[in-house]
Amino acid sequence: METGKETLKIQTPEQVGFRYELAGLGRRAAAFLLDTAFRFLFLVTLFIFLMLISRWGSALISPERLKESSGTWLLALGVLVYAAVDLGYFILFEGLWSGQTPGKRLQRLRVIRMDGQPIGWTESAIRNILRAVDMLAGFYPLGLIVMFFSHRNQRIGDYASGTVVIIEKRQTVPAGDEAFQVSDKPGVADLEFHLTTLKPEQYRLLKSFLQRRPVLDQEHRKQLARLLAERLRKRWGLPRGEGATHEAFLEEVVRAYERIKRVI
Amino acid sequence: MPETKDSGQKRELTVRLVGVRARTSMNDLLSALQRLLPRQPTEKIRTAMGNLPWTLTRSASVDQAKKIKQFLESRGAVLRITYTQAGGRSSIPPQPQKLVGEQGDPSSMKASVKTEPHAFQGVDRRLKPRIHPGILLQPMGIGDILDRSFYLLQGHFLLFFLIILIPQGAFFLVSKGLQFFLPAQMAQNPTLAMGIGLGISSFLAMIVFFIVQFWAQGALIHAVSETYLGHHTSLGSAYGAIRHRLGRLLGTIFLMGVLMILAPALVGISMAVLFPLLKHMGMSGWPMGLLGAFMGFLAVALFFELFMNWLMADKVVVLEDKAWWSALRRSKELMKSRTEPGFWKRSKMKAALILLLGFLVGIGIHLFLQIPGLLLRFFMPQSPFAATLQQILNMGATSLATVYTAIAMILFYYDIRLRREGFDLRMMAENL
Repeated sequence: METGKETLKIQTPEQVGFRYELAGLGRRAAAFLLDTAFRFLFLVTLFIFLMLISRWGSALISPERLKESSGTWLLALGVLVYAAVDLGYFILFEGLWSGQTPGKRLQRLRVIRMDGQPIGWTESAIRNILRAVDMLAGFYPLGLIVMFFSHRNQRIGDYASGTVVIIEKRQTVPAGDEAFQVSDKPGVADLEFHLTTLKPEQYRLLKSFLQRRPVLDQEHRKQLARLLAERLRKRWGLPRGEGATHEAFLEEVVRAYERIKRVI
Repeated sequence: MPETKDSGQKRELTVRLVGVRARTSMNDLLSALQRLLPRQPTEKIRTAMGNLPWTLTRSASVDQAKKIKQFLESRGAVLRITYTQAGGRSSIPPQPQKLVGEQGDPSSMKASVKTEPHAFQGVDRRLKPRIHPGILLQPMGIGDILDRSFYLLQGHFLLFFLIILIPQGAFFLVSKGLQFFLPAQMAQNPTLAMGIGLGISSFLAMIVFFIVQFWAQGALIHAVSETYLGHHTSLGSAYGAIRHRLGRLLGTIFLMGVLMILAPALVGISMAVLFPLLKHMGMSGWPMGLLGAFMGFLAVALFFELFMNWLMADKVVVLEDKAWWSALRRSKELMKSRTEPGFWKRSKMKAALILLLGFLVGIGIHLFLQIPGLLLRFFMPQSPFAATLQQILNMGATSLATVYTAIAMILFYYDIRLRREGFDLRMMAENL
């Protein structure tokens, strides 16, 4: 069965378990594209900078001498800079930022060792030098196939360095003018009595609706509010409410539930 | 099917609306119920639909029950018909006589009822929640959508790959067969009749290929949807599920294609009319070039705008049972929806990014699968085996790349519905 969450479980010697969500092809491709864009921008900036330097330098060095050497030197310098940026970018950032590059950071990805520890310079160097093999004429043909058959979505560089790419978890709550806020206002007494039958997953459903309602389409928002409120009212034997009161009722239920749980 | 007579006495039947099939248009069902129960206020019907099971009648004859069943089940309702218990009374008198004209003669109904031997027994399979209880659906970012697509492809590789490979494979086999069986005489001394015959048969073969191709596209949408929602499906059931919608799917895609070509073509025609006119009026040089560039840009922009607007049309046909213009309108409605703040999080921008990333992944797959074929062609340039192998690998690469992007777009369709319509919340609320 699909659960959509491919995870890596790590057990430390102290018998503490960690679960990491593994990054799949999509996020990694998106991160790589972002990094490519950053590298491209950096190279363009560098190119403009070098052009300016060369124009400034030509004023100091005699034109004949510049003509003799500039072509070869500039080509060599260009190749060197490109190689340094192409390879160095990943090694440098992953080494300095404990397994993250700007693209990975934006995609909330991090490279870690198989034992859950942050990667060092060696791992970063190995996995990024082998990137050339994964890329094999660009667009990661070999890396894609190896990742497809890997249980931990590892490419060749990951296998060689003993690393995996994981998704960093951050708790986010959708914000909006109407996003649900917990209040300490006392609720209806008989409602609190019924709340003992409300299961945690049902509470999460109500809360999720209240949090997501600002972005819901108006028609569907009304229908959902009515459906949820009527189901609860029917279940608890409460009288039916009217249009605008459905959301208020659901807010009241969630507030009361949170108040009770906090007391407990 | 219960007997109508028991010891010579007619028995009455109770008809209950116990559920609604997945992807049923609630508005269609509502209007069907309004036609069936014209005296009932709409709001009351709507409320009753939210509180199933709903007893429609307790005093229907077999014919009436059959007609109600056929009428409502064609609109996505799931009915349960049982004998009325003694003392039971009809809550709403049925008016099935209105339906006779619309639904055809009773003999056809009889035939249709006969084909469903379990229609009156137990709980219909379709009453099961459409989302598997173990499945957690939630709004996803682009990365999540692409990741999830990757996992789905990993988990059901053969199913999805074969669905798409079937039309490609059939086309490949037919073309190879033609090459093989085509008489040498025809190739050396072609006549007009042979040419016409070959042209017509190629045209017909192309039409058949397109039909099978779109059938496969629909089957893939069905299969991905089922697996994403936690259900099992197979190659046969995926193709079978689309069989009844194939006409609607083909029609919608045809309409979409025609309109997408027509709109930029109109810009082109207007250019063709406008330019000589302007030239006659003395306009030339850079203003003319600028206008030409603008019109060209307009034609391309229009094409892409329409393409993005109708990107979800095939999913709408398969998953929501809408077709033609209403499917295109629904697709536009989904693609125009603002589910998150920010320019880059607009539905169209997200779709464009998914397509771009899918395209890049596709290039990677193509490159990988091209390598063996290229090596063989390099070492055996004249070998027909190498050429055939390269063609097969190309076909596999195209199928793979298509499958990945298609899965991502189907998940994106669900993501829009999750965000905009609270699709997941509704499914969970149904089980509250």
